[in-house]
Amino acid sequence: MEELERALRWADENLKAEYIELRYEDLRKTTLGLKDGVFTSFTGKLHRGVAIRVLADGAWGFASTSELTNLEKKIEEAYKLAKAAAETKKEKIQLAEIKPVQDSVKSRMRVKPREVDIEEKVNHLRELEKLLKEDEAVKSVQIRYEDGGGKKLLLTNEGARIEWDYNYLYQGTYVTGKANGKLAMARDSIGSVDYGWELMTEREPNDKVAERLLRKMQGQLRGVAPKRGEWPIVAGPIVVGIIAHEALGHLAEADLTINSPFKDLIGKQIAPEYVTMSERYVDGGFGNDKYDDEGVPVKDIHIIENGILKEIMLNREYAAKWGMEPNGHARAESYLYPPIIRMRNTVFEPGDHSFEELIEDIKFGYYVVDFRGGQAQLNSAFQVGIQEGYVIRNGEIAEPIRDTSITGVAIEALKKISAVGKDFGLEVGFCGKGQTAFVSSGGPHMRFDGGILIG
Amino acid sequence: MENLLRYAEKLFDEVEIAVYRSREVSANVELNEISMASTRSGAVTVIRGIKDKRLGLAIVDSDEPAKVNEAIEQAAKMARLNGRDEKWASLPEPGKYREKPKPNYELKEASPDILVEKLVHGIKLAREKDPNAVVAGGAGGVSWEERHIVNSHGIDVFQEGGASYMYLELVGRKGNVVTPGIFDFDARRDLNLDVEGIVERAVRKVKWAYSVKASKNEEVPVILGPWAIAGLLSYALLPAFSGERLVKETTPLAGKVGEKIASEVLTVYDDPFHPLSIEPVIADGEGVPTRKNVLIENGTFRGFVWDNYWGKVYGTESTGNGKRDMRSGGINIGFHNVVIENGKRSLEDLIGDIKRGYFVDGFQGAHSSNPDNGNFAVTANPAFLIEDGEVVGSSVFLIAGNVYELLKQASEVAKEQTVMPFMTSMTVPYVKFEDVKIAGK
Repeated sequence: MEELERALRWADENLKAEYIELRYEDLRKTTLGLKDGVFTSFTGKLHRGVAIRVLADGAWGFASTSELTNLEKKIEEAYKLAKAAAETKKEKIQLAEIKPVQDSVKSRMRVKPREVDIEEKVNHLRELEKLLKEDEAVKSVQIRYEDGGGKKLLLTNEGARIEWDYNYLYQGTYVTGKANGKLAMARDSIGSVDYGWELMTEREPNDKVAERLLRKMQGQLRGVAPKRGEWPIVAGPIVVGIIAHEALGHLAEADLTINSPFKDLIGKQIAPEYVTMSERYVDGGFGNDKYDDEGVPVKDIHIIENGILKEIMLNREYAAKWGMEPNGHARAESYLYPPIIRMRNTVFEPGDHSFEELIEDIKFGYYVVDFRGGQAQLNSAFQVGIQEGYVIRNGEIAEPIRDTSITGVAIEALKKISAVGKDFGLEVGFCGKGQTAFVSSGGPHMRFDGGILIG
Repeated sequence: MENLLRYAEKLFDEVEIAVYRSREVSANVELNEISMASTRSGAVTVIRGIKDKRLGLAIVDSDEPAKVNEAIEQAAKMARLNGRDEKWASLPEPGKYREKPKPNYELKEASPDILVEKLVHGIKLAREKDPNAVVAGGAGGVSWEERHIVNSHGIDVFQEGGASYMYLELVGRKGNVVTPGIFDFDARRDLNLDVEGIVERAVRKVKWAYSVKASKNEEVPVILGPWAIAGLLSYALLPAFSGERLVKETTPLAGKVGEKIASEVLTVYDDPFHPLSIEPVIADGEGVPTRKNVLIENGTFRGFVWDNYWGKVYGTESTGNGKRDMRSGGINIGFHNVVIENGKRSLEDLIGDIKRGYFVDGFQGAHSSNPDNGNFAVTANPAFLIEDGEVVGSSVFLIAGNVYELLKQASEVAKEQTVMPFMTSMTVPYVKFEDVKIAGK
């Protein structure tokens, strides 16, 4: 890593930049794609390169390269890009002060994926496929597995030097089923940055994953179309999580807050006092990390605390703009991208109702458990496809529903939360905001009396 | 390449090496200002080798021979560990290629200054035309890529080319109304990005969005814009044309070749050589010649698309629709540029005919559609209410239905076509559908 440090020293001495950051990655990845008995991808990847970010004259320049020779020239290129962007810039970018950190971040994984024989990984996927295909309705199974590990290094001209032993694993499974001329699809995802292969063998073993998938698929095959309308809705942790992430979380990303209704609501009551939503460390959270990609320690924050809109997610640039402390939300997908403000683990905090209490007085309504795809607008209008859901009739869970979606405006729906469950669940996934980030979202079961339209 | 291929052939029965060298410059906009200028350059090499019917893949972020050699060995190791795929036939043979389009080398050398200039011009123009609008975001970019693919059966295709794009996202604030993010964009194979057009279209939509109209449950004519159509069809319809899904019996189009599946006004084909296409490739991701493949002709379903693997499994030939998945290195069935053939009259004419109906710019939630049966449930947002032939305000509503039923309700296609470089690359006009059931909010 000497060439990186040498190049940084040279740039610090020779360029008139306010800030220079080098982020190096050297990762080995394995991707396995099993589609109906055949491994269509069986791939080893060597992923190495450096991201260079320079702040000069109040504007950013960024260069990414997989060629590690002549780094001085590449830093100079980023510097020139910053100068070009700065020429038209009236409001100069400034960065909130931080104490530069020198640290080495160790992995918490017990069994790192790269230490596991590929045969074991192959057998694991084949076993999951076999378990799923035991159900005669299953027509097609697709499993995508990926793991990666190696080194990440952040160097800045302010003196930060953070080295990560960085590891992750992920498994996404898609099942298509057919019965009585009807086709249905279900998906499931598991992944972690803190649990290693033990995730696959202990926390999320194949039988557990298969059971979940088959339940969702069978529900849809037997499901009836819901009655369109605004009924009482009880949403499970996964659906609550996607609303937290898509409809509310994005509004609390400082770069988006500025154009969202949240801008004028900070410090105001936007939900009942029993509603709290956080961005925080969660056991098993896919977005967990000790530092962000600007070297800022990751802090837990309450976006909504007892119903009041409190904190937003910041990087150093937006922290300076808002006069706040940066809280560790600058993340980059890889060395190909500059860090931007991202969520990590976005969750509603549990309350004190049991599941039975949530549904017992609902004469007619819906229980929505899992989604397929969700999307929201900056005015918090959201649309979530439902892949597992049930009718609630006379206080009891009744028949499943199929292929439907729920929509609403989250800041309106928040006010209609009438009860918060005492349980908690989490799902891992990916968030796309021009770049992909590992995230989790979740919470307890929650009841909405209005504010959400189904069908 | 020659030496690398020779080396790889010693380790595999058959092997393919694909090198992608790329350069991209871009500039980003945040809140009325340029926030960053960037460049990204590098090379990626993908090895796909087969030994004893066992597939091995490797990807390396480099084109240096030493690194590529390492990747070849890695792929060989993966192949040794993989199970036998009894369905594997062989990698493709060379075919007859069309003449290569002349690359625009202006794109190869493009400087970020040009993009900064265009974006600044766009921001200024938007703010002049609508002082209540904020250019919340946007970007402009120029990408250049060189692809070289060789395999042990003699395929050796080199292609190069580039494209430029620009988009702006406007948010209007007037009184209590905050409009949703309103997008418009342009993408093309030269640097003449239509900045004025982007701004004009976006500002017009923002203006419409200031007047918010409630929607109700009704059955009305609806015009879907290119962005809305591309979003919906990418997820609800296009996967159904995949030959792999035919083999696996997961497409609702099985057994329907020659049958009417859409209104007569709809003709849909995949054609990388359409004049608006931003990627006019002569060979697909595994070196098979590309061609125009008709999917729907005047409402009649014409056939599936195939890559080399699934084509051979089914006993037919590849239609040149093998697309490289850069995450796994493998090949999937995909499209190059799906075109919906345009009609004769303009969008204005289509709007002018409608007494009461909607024009939908974008759908939320199209990616939750079910390609196995075509069911979808989406939110139309931004959507605009049309009364007596004019747009009178913006609205939000739900459409839940089935894409095959919707296709039969198409009544007219507009003459304006827009290239949509997202998701599946598509070239799409505005399409009017009759009696669409909407659920108001």
